[in-house]
Amino acid sequence: MAASSKKVFEVFVSKIPWTVASKEMKEYFGQFGQIKKCLLPFDKETGFHRGFCWIGYSTDEGLQNALQKDPHIIEGSRIQVQRNRKAFLGRKATKEEDDS
Amino acid sequence: MAALLRSARVLRFSPSPLLYVPGAAKYGPPRSGLAWPCASLRQYGVAPQQQGVSKDEASIGLRTKQAQQFDWALAKLDSSVRRTGRVTKTLLLRIFHDICRTGYPSGNQALLLLRSCGSLLPEMPLAERTELAHRIWDKLQELGASYDASHYNALLKVYLQNEHKFSPTDFLAKMEEASVPANRVTYQRLIAAYCQEGDIEGASKILGFMKSKDLPITEAVFNSLVSGHAHAGDMGSAEGILSVMKGAGIEPGPDTYLALLSAYAEKGDIAKIKLTLETVDNTDTSLMDRDLMQVVFSLAKAGYEQHVPEVVERMRHERGYVPDAMNLCLSLITQGREDTALTVLKTFPSLQVESENGEVPDLGNFFLRHCVNMEKPAEKLIKYSRELKDAKLHSGPLQFTLYCAVEANKTRLAMELMTDMKAEGLPIRPHFFWPLLTHHQRDKNIPGILEVLRGMQQLEVMPDVETYSNYVVPAFPNMDAARAALQVKRGHTDIAIRLIVAALIYINMSFCSLTVSSPTFPATDLSVFRGSLISGFKRLSVWSFSLFPAENVAYFLYNLIDSMTEGEVQAKEEKLRQYFAQLKSLNVFIPVTIYRGIRNILDAYHVPELIKGPEGRFVVLETRLAELRAEGKPVSAVLKQLIQALCAEEKLERALEIKAQFEQDMVVGAYAVLINLCSRHDNADEAMNLKREARKDSHVALDATKYLALVRVLSKHGRLEEAIDMLKEMKEKDVVLNDSVVTQLFHVLNAAAMKGDVATVQRLQDTTFALGLVKPTANLCSPLISAHLESGNYSGALEAAMECHQQYNQLPRIHDIICGLVEKGEMETLQKAMDFISQERGEMTMLYDLFFAFMQTRRYKEARKIIETPGLRARPGRLQWFAEKCIANNQMEALENMVDVTEKLFECDRDEMYHYLLRLCQESNDWRKAEAVWTKMQEENVIPREKTLRLLANILKSSGQVVPFDVPEVRLIHTRLSVVTVPSLAFNLLKDADKKGVVLGPAPYDGVIRSLLAAGSLEDAMAVREIAISHIPGFKLSDMASSLLIITQVKRNEVKDAMAHLKTMLQLDQVPSQLAITRLVQGLGSHGDVHGIEEVEGLVKALGTSLNLSRMVFLNNTVLAHIKNGDVDRAVESLETLYTQGGDTAHTSSVAFVFRKVIEENNDAALDKLSAMAERLANHFALYRPATDLFMQYLEAGRVEEAKFMLQRCAAIAEQREILLSYMTKAAQEPGQVNKIKTMKELVPDFVDKETLYSYLMKCYGLDKDLASAKALHDQVQQEGMQPDELFLKRLAVLYRDAGEAAPFQEPPESFKFYAEKLREKTKAQTASADD
Repeated sequence: MAASSKKVFEVFVSKIPWTVASKEMKEYFGQFGQIKKCLLPFDKETGFHRGFCWIGYSTDEGLQNALQKDPHIIEGSRIQVQRNRKAFLGRKATKEEDDS
Repeated sequence: MAALLRSARVLRFSPSPLLYVPGAAKYGPPRSGLAWPCASLRQYGVAPQQQGVSKDEASIGLRTKQAQQFDWALAKLDSSVRRTGRVTKTLLLRIFHDICRTGYPSGNQALLLLRSCGSLLPEMPLAERTELAHRIWDKLQELGASYDASHYNALLKVYLQNEHKFSPTDFLAKMEEASVPANRVTYQRLIAAYCQEGDIEGASKILGFMKSKDLPITEAVFNSLVSGHAHAGDMGSAEGILSVMKGAGIEPGPDTYLALLSAYAEKGDIAKIKLTLETVDNTDTSLMDRDLMQVVFSLAKAGYEQHVPEVVERMRHERGYVPDAMNLCLSLITQGREDTALTVLKTFPSLQVESENGEVPDLGNFFLRHCVNMEKPAEKLIKYSRELKDAKLHSGPLQFTLYCAVEANKTRLAMELMTDMKAEGLPIRPHFFWPLLTHHQRDKNIPGILEVLRGMQQLEVMPDVETYSNYVVPAFPNMDAARAALQVKRGHTDIAIRLIVAALIYINMSFCSLTVSSPTFPATDLSVFRGSLISGFKRLSVWSFSLFPAENVAYFLYNLIDSMTEGEVQAKEEKLRQYFAQLKSLNVFIPVTIYRGIRNILDAYHVPELIKGPEGRFVVLETRLAELRAEGKPVSAVLKQLIQALCAEEKLERALEIKAQFEQDMVVGAYAVLINLCSRHDNADEAMNLKREARKDSHVALDATKYLALVRVLSKHGRLEEAIDMLKEMKEKDVVLNDSVVTQLFHVLNAAAMKGDVATVQRLQDTTFALGLVKPTANLCSPLISAHLESGNYSGALEAAMECHQQYNQLPRIHDIICGLVEKGEMETLQKAMDFISQERGEMTMLYDLFFAFMQTRRYKEARKIIETPGLRARPGRLQWFAEKCIANNQMEALENMVDVTEKLFECDRDEMYHYLLRLCQESNDWRKAEAVWTKMQEENVIPREKTLRLLANILKSSGQVVPFDVPEVRLIHTRLSVVTVPSLAFNLLKDADKKGVVLGPAPYDGVIRSLLAAGSLEDAMAVREIAISHIPGFKLSDMASSLLIITQVKRNEVKDAMAHLKTMLQLDQVPSQLAITRLVQGLGSHGDVHGIEEVEGLVKALGTSLNLSRMVFLNNTVLAHIKNGDVDRAVESLETLYTQGGDTAHTSSVAFVFRKVIEENNDAALDKLSAMAERLANHFALYRPATDLFMQYLEAGRVEEAKFMLQRCAAIAEQREILLSYMTKAAQEPGQVNKIKTMKELVPDFVDKETLYSYLMKCYGLDKDLASAKALHDQVQQEGMQPDELFLKRLAVLYRDAGEAAPFQEPPESFKFYAEKLREKTKAQTASADD
């Protein structure tokens, strides 16, 4: 019963310097292809992002372009880019309320 | 000998891979110097994770979460010291608070905390450190910790490290007042304190004390005097101390020179420093980097920073340089010498990564961070950042500094840094400000927020929607307040719009976060549990098997005996016998297999008598035998029994007589015992005769024991060839040698060796190994060496050992060989041995071998040289081996020396070493020595583990001495509590303990209360609470216990009490569990208490959303309360409001619970109205959830007709496939539910595709173990031409197998999980491709 999800071309980026936010990520990764999604989670308790990010391209080409480049340097820091292995699943909305 | 010592020194430079183990020798050994951190590794003896091996720790099964967290924290403290040589203030405080919270701090916990308040905290100013030490001292005393000399000495050490000014005489008076006698260490440290102030007169006074008490004046005292004279301005006398020392027969050590060097440093006398360093180079001692760092520190502190580089360049960058140097930098920064710190930082060896890809490593993060924390001015930080950047040491120092500033909530510093960055053209972004905002948001600090926003404005950074929604708006009570405070005026439309969007996002968020997650319980690892049970059991003085269900006793017993060593079993033989008797009286049945297992172990432990019955049976048997013969019946069996009985009683002659009488009835078994007995009685001829007689049954083999008995007696009588034949016969007949037989073989060989009969041993050994009867072990090889040693031929022994190594990879008795060689002074052979070991086993092993040989032969000076070889690290196993040897042979001198010389050995577990010493003290009943050991531990700053303290206390007690410290006696009760799994037994234990006046900490009380509550024994639980309150004034139930109490009260319908308890809990700032709230609300609902529910909802809301409670809990139960009160209309109304006005979340809110309750209670009036409501919502508002819920509840209750009717009136229910599907998946998780799925299928034929349905049906049949239906389903699937998947087949196959039938197809070989995963992958792939 897999959740229906459109096929996505995602990379998982880690070791992102703290000074970079989604906007900069989009700008940088936009050079490889059109970006459909950019998810850079911030920790609302601390105000810092967690150092990793998902970038989704609308085409396989974008994904391949991004993967081919090495090293990726953003604002002087080397970041790690890899094909996203695990699909990012949003929090499931269904819940057991039988026992409520 | 000198040559050998030289070979040891080589290790320092040799690149032997062994010594480059990562992390090895990272820290030099601690030095008991005056101020420099002695961050020793094993001095944190209490870290429980390290105690995993020690048995008393492993058995704590019933630990509270709190205790676990505490252990975790202690382990963390230990690892922090281990890795970095320092502790952070946060960590220390956290542990302090944890200890306070758990109540009743133990003596060594207090010691641990106090000891950490000195130089282990380089990031804290000296005065603050002392203040913290005092706070800890007072607080723990208040909590009941009792202090002994070790605590006072630790406090003194902290004073010295923190340069705290105090009056030594007052200190002594205070100790006297507390009737804690000062000891040698106390006086030594008081002298050091006087000397720190340059008060030679005071120091002399204490020195006088020491002399009058006949206490030895140690090197430490002289070292203090060097500093003392220097501080008094008398360098001449300071220098003179060295010759005084020599006069007193004490060689100046590294610490002496360090004291002198520090004195010169304080005067800025660089010439003398250089001179002294050269002098040191010419002596036997050597200074480490850490010592030089102390000199650097002294120079900087005294304001002679210009000389620092000259000392820094002398550092050798030993392994462990970086963490030590980091601590130096941190201390320098803390004490306002950050410029010097930067100088030191720049000398850090650059990391190798740099060259690899041209990236700049980020060096100095710790430096920048600490500067920020210490509030160094922005200009300085900017300057340092530039320097680091220019020196290519750091890629983005400014950004990192900013990171630290915003993280530490230093708004002003952050603003100044950003202004500079902006001027440099570096980008400034909105999220840079978020961490600052989070601090203010947490404190609801509106002015703070506004200040940050103004800062953004100044730097021309526009706050975006995220800034507002996540970090600004939540700080305000409502939107209006936010708008007012932010002064959104007309015209500022963009800000206004952002604010509104932000607010919307924020509100929505709070809804989203109301998800309910079910708590998961960690699966209990049964084997671990059993392990701890056993080790606890072994130490209990009272055993009672009634704790266990009968069927488990046997297996438990097996495990228990199996886990005991031979010695333990023998020692506890009497006790075990009692238990067997007890078991018998309880009619406990032990299965044959387990009986065999137990018997085998007991056999192996040489206590087979344990399982034997009463003796003297042979009288009966003999009569019986005569009777049988008279009756002409077969006698073989009884004959064998008789012979066995006789042999067991060692009555050889009688047995042989019987044998002669009944020659023709003898069976092999009977011969075997006779052969054995003859061999034992050294009667080789008779044994061989019997052997020949027994051969008439030539295909039957004797067992290995009998063969070996023969081998022994034959070889003893010089009949070597016959013995060899026996061995060959064993091989031919495939006789299996188990462990105990191998031991027997050893004894056979050893017996020959003891006669010095090298040839025999060699022959027997070679034959056994060549035949492959046993695998060669060190033990089995050792008799050969013994034979050589016995005849005094050491080089022969070495040759033989080397030969063994070549052939069997064993190096038997090498220690004895080396000892012999050392003793005899056979240098050449010794060198050969060392070369050989070094080559075959590595240098480290060689050094240890040599070390132990020197120790054994009392060449302690040489031994010390070996152990001081740089790069050498502790090998606990080998140290233990030697220690056990000393204990077994009562070699106090050797053991003491070993403990002494290993003081600075890297990673040496000091507590363990002292524990060995104490064990020997106990063996030899020497309480005076034990007391001296304790003083020594204080001098070395070792924190004893509880087991060490207990041992020491036992020694003192058994000699009638007063124990000068607090013994953790409650431990025993803890351990017992931890083994008892039945709550009522735990309750009894506690009551007993209470009667005996034993007071426990809050944790065990709480644990018992929880287990009682979990078993529903409310009254008993409350009784325990009373006991606890009577002992611990502030005792309160833990969160978990309180929650359980609420649940229990609700269960007993005492809803009012439960409600009251919830309020008490919240007042105490405790957080109730989700389940407790749910149960309480349900209880209130069934009592019709609408207000109560409202009240709880309010209380929970005030707690924040952390509970993850669904709003539906309150709503559903309010509805039920209305129904209970007969007000169905109100109930319907509130539900309708929810659905029609609840927004997005409405259609997912389930009211199944309401329907279920109403159906259960057969309240048809209410049901009618609710049903009407559900239809209305479905038909008018297209909200199908309630109707679907009701439909499924009908199904669940088996009211199929009503379900059908419901479906007819509201056809859209059939469309709610997701809900229906999840109903099916849920139903298929428990047995007996298959009909529900079938009914569903009948009512809504197309709610699911066939494939899925069938696989769930098969799952149900599997759960129900219904092979017949499963077969039918399989047939149906095949008839319909479908291909069942592997999971389906696997389930079916298991059903077949369990029923003992063969499946008509091949069972899929992998596990369920494998196929389930596979299926999931497949489904996913299909969905994905369907989307393309």
